[in-house]
Amino acid sequence: MRKLFLIIFIMAWLSPDVFSKDTINILTTTEDLKSIAEAIGGDKVKVDSLGRGYQDPHFIQAKPSFMIKTKNADLFIRVGLELEIGYEDLIIDGSRNPKIRIGTPGHLDASEGVGLLEVPTTTKVDRSMGDIHPMGNPHYWLDPENAKIIAYNIAKRLSELSPSDEAYFQENLKAFNRKIEEKMVEWQKKMEPFKGRKVAIYHRSWPYFADRFGLKVACELEPKPGIPPSPGHLKEVIDIMRRDKVGLILMEVFYDEKPARFVAEQTGAKVIIVPNSVGGTDEAKDYFSLIDTIIGKIAEGFEN
Amino acid sequence: MKKSFIILVISFLSVLLSASNARPSDLAQLQQELAALRAQIADLKRSYEARIAQLETRIEDMAKTYTIEAAKPRVAAPAPIQSAGMGRYFQSFNPDVSVIGDFTYHTTDTKEEEFRNQFQMRQTELAFSASVDPYARGDFFFHVEQEGGEWHIGLCEGYLTLLTLPIDGLQAKAGKFKVEFGKANKYHLHNLPWVDFPNMVRNYLGGEGMSEPGVSASYLIPNPWDKYIELTGQVINNRNGMSFAGGEGTSLCYLGHLKIFHDINESSSLELGASLMAGPNDDGLGRFGTNMTTLEGVDLTYKWRPLQQGLYKSVTFQNELLFSQHDRPFLDDGADIIEPKAVNSWGGYSSLEYQFARRWSVFGRYDFSELPLSSSSRENAYSAGITFAQSEYCFWRLQFKHTDRNFDKDSNEIWLQCDFGLGPHRKHEY
Repeated sequence: MRKLFLIIFIMAWLSPDVFSKDTINILTTTEDLKSIAEAIGGDKVKVDSLGRGYQDPHFIQAKPSFMIKTKNADLFIRVGLELEIGYEDLIIDGSRNPKIRIGTPGHLDASEGVGLLEVPTTTKVDRSMGDIHPMGNPHYWLDPENAKIIAYNIAKRLSELSPSDEAYFQENLKAFNRKIEEKMVEWQKKMEPFKGRKVAIYHRSWPYFADRFGLKVACELEPKPGIPPSPGHLKEVIDIMRRDKVGLILMEVFYDEKPARFVAEQTGAKVIIVPNSVGGTDEAKDYFSLIDTIIGKIAEGFEN
Repeated sequence: MKKSFIILVISFLSVLLSASNARPSDLAQLQQELAALRAQIADLKRSYEARIAQLETRIEDMAKTYTIEAAKPRVAAPAPIQSAGMGRYFQSFNPDVSVIGDFTYHTTDTKEEEFRNQFQMRQTELAFSASVDPYARGDFFFHVEQEGGEWHIGLCEGYLTLLTLPIDGLQAKAGKFKVEFGKANKYHLHNLPWVDFPNMVRNYLGGEGMSEPGVSASYLIPNPWDKYIELTGQVINNRNGMSFAGGEGTSLCYLGHLKIFHDINESSSLELGASLMAGPNDDGLGRFGTNMTTLEGVDLTYKWRPLQQGLYKSVTFQNELLFSQHDRPFLDDGADIIEPKAVNSWGGYSSLEYQFARRWSVFGRYDFSELPLSSSSRENAYSAGITFAQSEYCFWRLQFKHTDRNFDKDSNEIWLQCDFGLGPHRKHEY
């Protein structure tokens, strides 16, 4: 017994926790949040993400190793709007970290203050509607204007956690916003020729992006959010695409391409596989290159 | 127009002003100054006009952007979180409530089975969970089952979890819970990867695993490698009838469990568990607490799920072994109790599940199990099945199982199972 205690004591002593920390450990649920948190936190933070950009953000699993990552976090940042409903509670409870529990300064819902799309207007929301998000579509990070809101939320929270670095975070926030504004001119210019064009999408990851850059979503390959395409529904999609002359199918990197390829074959449309998150493909290294990649591929798709 | 007028007035006034101070002798100088002034004013006018023109273009540009912004079908509701969440406000203090049905059709060549060739609502689980206060959460799982002609509701689990204990990494539970012995014991019927519990669990821990009232403490052991190493200690009532004292047991059982989780890479992981449990058993002679049972268990689970194709492909290879030392007194010829002798027996299973499409997976399981009181009684069972997950909340499963027994007749069984859940039932552990 004494030996066991000794081992535990030595292990506790060896653990990195006991070393004093100057940096704030941030854990995000997605790589998009990670990229923005890095831009704002600079060298005052160390950021890790639970999810990877090339996986479906709805289906991240509550691995015990994630609980250890969460245990070591000073700030937990989530997308919110129930995107993390499948694993967040299990990981936070399992981490035994009281600092990042919901309602504490160490827990940030990045969606605070974002103008939401697709908030259900029906009086009742239930699973007959698929994997619906009762508070609105959670893929808001794909609108660069919303990235500014995320950045603002992160800067505000970091300033609360480390008031002595407030000026630094605010300076980084300004620089981030300036870069978004500069890039926005470039992005809008690139998308200008395609304003008003219709696209088909696989999952409802794209409404915020489409809304910002003037694309119109004609239909989705999923009959309902989170429900895989059925032959009957694909027939409807084909009809809509033929009727509305939709030439592009926009889809994420982690879905089965077969249904999209089938529809493309039937309609002559083009399938564009684009990352919907930082890290989704090699080009999408950070938030800016993510939007660059998406816009580049869409432009290429429309042009050819 | 306005601009030219102002400039005119200014020029007029300045001329007037200079004229009033003029002396006839300075007339030439005055004229010179006037010319200079005119030139100056013209300069000013030019520069102002240029700047105004610049401003006007900027305003026009801004107006354009503004129209784009305003024309957007932005947010349906101005305060979406609040409006969408109205229902939630009213329900905020209610626990999450879920109901999960487990429905089967079971056919077997064992004639004694109660639900032979019958449909059966095998179990309905009612689950309630919520935060109790800032320090703890509560979880309740009630099971409604049919026994004979009657329906019974029982408490499968009902426990409080203390989440914010002052010792870093420590968490405690109090109430009735599924004990932390191995991996399969913790499943509920609806989240089993098979239709039935492995023989090992049924023979040593109970039909649906062992769940007893008690207390539990678990600690995440800090380590230099930042691995998940969890040590759990539990003290529970000694009322388990399979390996311990049974319904009339008055003593306690003690359990320890070590769980180590290792990410091999981002798509595959290995989990290793070791369990140890000890307590007095029912010695079969109506004396409780005199003889001991000790159970040891090891479990090893390998999981593979490539992140990018995670919706469509996965493999789970799960294995468990259980060893039992069950003290048992024997009667000699004169019916005197002689010294207890341990019955050493064991059981185990190995299961492989392969998900080959978004909704489809197949599995196979091999079971080996002796009986706690007879190491010479053996079961070998072979199961195979297929699962169709209609959605995350509903699946259908077909399973075939053949069991060889050296102490009873062999059996063949087929199940068709359908599980369906309502409500936000908390996801189970990884």
